[in-house]
Amino acid sequence: MVERAAWRGRLELAFGQRGDRGTPGSVAVTHQHAVAPLKFQRPFYPEGPDLCHGALLHTAGGVVGGDRLDIDIHLGPNTNALLTTVAATKLYRSTGAIARQHTHLTVGEGACLEWFPQDAIAFRGCNFEQTTRIDLAAGARWCGWELLRFGRTARGEQFTAGRWRSHLEVWQDDQPLWVDLQTLEGSDDTWHSPNHLKGCPIIATFALLGAPCDRDLIPHLRQTTIPENPSPNAEFGLTRLPQGLLGRYRGPSSLEARQWLQTLWRSLRPHYLDRPAAPVRLWG
Amino acid sequence: MMIPDAEGDRALLWLLQLASPALPVGGYAYSEGLEALVAAGDLATAADLGTWLRGELAGGAIALDLAMLVRQYRSIALGDWGAVVARDRWLAATRETEELRTQSTQMGRSLSQLLDQLFQPDPAPRSPQGQDASTSWPLLHRALGDRCTWTTAFAAAAAIGGVGIEAMGLAYGQGWAGNLVTAAVKAIPLGQTDGQRILLTLAGAIAAAVENAIAQPEDRAPDCCTWGLSLASMAHEAQYARLFRS
Repeated sequence: MVERAAWRGRLELAFGQRGDRGTPGSVAVTHQHAVAPLKFQRPFYPEGPDLCHGALLHTAGGVVGGDRLDIDIHLGPNTNALLTTVAATKLYRSTGAIARQHTHLTVGEGACLEWFPQDAIAFRGCNFEQTTRIDLAAGARWCGWELLRFGRTARGEQFTAGRWRSHLEVWQDDQPLWVDLQTLEGSDDTWHSPNHLKGCPIIATFALLGAPCDRDLIPHLRQTTIPENPSPNAEFGLTRLPQGLLGRYRGPSSLEARQWLQTLWRSLRPHYLDRPAAPVRLWG
Repeated sequence: MMIPDAEGDRALLWLLQLASPALPVGGYAYSEGLEALVAAGDLATAADLGTWLRGELAGGAIALDLAMLVRQYRSIALGDWGAVVARDRWLAATRETEELRTQSTQMGRSLSQLLDQLFQPDPAPRSPQGQDASTSWPLLHRALGDRCTWTTAFAAAAAIGGVGIEAMGLAYGQGWAGNLVTAAVKAIPLGQTDGQRILLTLAGAIAAAVENAIAQPEDRAPDCCTWGLSLASMAHEAQYARLFRS
């Protein structure tokens, strides 16, 4: 258990088109405000000036009960950014207090936000709640994933105590496109039950919204992205959402889940951003 | 001699009509992922079926539905059509697979159309408040437009027919369980008596889910977990041979 005072971290970022100087169509950070333990690393442009890569950093190493983190990111019109995190997020065991994270992403007209954080590891006994609100303007797209590990399985820990809660909503033009409510109350029952973890520590989710998805795309992705020889007990699922698509993984291996998420991204990026997938530095 | 409670009797009969498999909304055509669980070998016995359904009632999509059913009923009773429409859209956005979304909107549309036909022009059941179903349903239906979830349509039917909130919840839960047990009896297959026995043993879980839906505060989204259901439904969408539409 980690004992320390609670953090009130905050990160505000805005991205927009660079002003009069510089190349037209190049993306810049137009506003930045960080309160520890949250930080934003210097942006970089491995794909050219019109798409900004950036990484969020949690300098305290993990989240403890009582922490409150607020992340507010805005993309201006026709602005493209790919954001990730520098390291996995650890959700430590709590003595009772709830750790909360609120993320608000707004994506302007014709803009595209790619949101690919590294894994979150929920320690047995954590007490964590996250709320995520994503507002898409007309023609805006959001592509994101989440990779969760329940329990430090390397040391044989199962998530049989603790609580993890997530409430995500994606809206476009004042209409809800997708609402994802998930609460996992750790217990022997939820660890084993087929309604919840079915004995598997890894849950991964991939979502693309704001880019209508043809009916044929889902069977194509099933054929081309799901591994031929998956781990025993691993499940991969894909479906259409209104204005997008959704993928879910439940299984034993975070490596397998991460590879699938990246494969989906590589397959879909030409579809929603009209450009090929490039290697992302932090994914190694 | 007992004095017949004409208002109460009429509400009870209307509820039985709503909860009956004879209601032409096509509930029997859906398995909500059960058919895929059977095909994967995850649901092979009566005990497996009971465990799955109890898990859903304790905190799956049906628990969320029941919470929203209750909230819709209250808003309809207040005539707050704006709240009903906003909640309906929000609830539709929680159906995360195409088949589950289609199921809810198809059943919702069928019930809406039925209510249109039943409550126009002749006012059938009157609510205890004396509110005339023939006036409130068309107003609500106009506000909702063409699309409406099954949950909202059911709440509307119950509210305008003078059904109590708890009875409505129990009937909704029982209707859900009855459809899925019937689907599983075909898909596994199980004997009819096994199916009836499971339904009987679910009574406590259904009642608890309804009680929880009524008691919880409205300012917070309900706790639920749909990973298992979602994966089962996605697997069903990819399944080669299917009896059911979800």
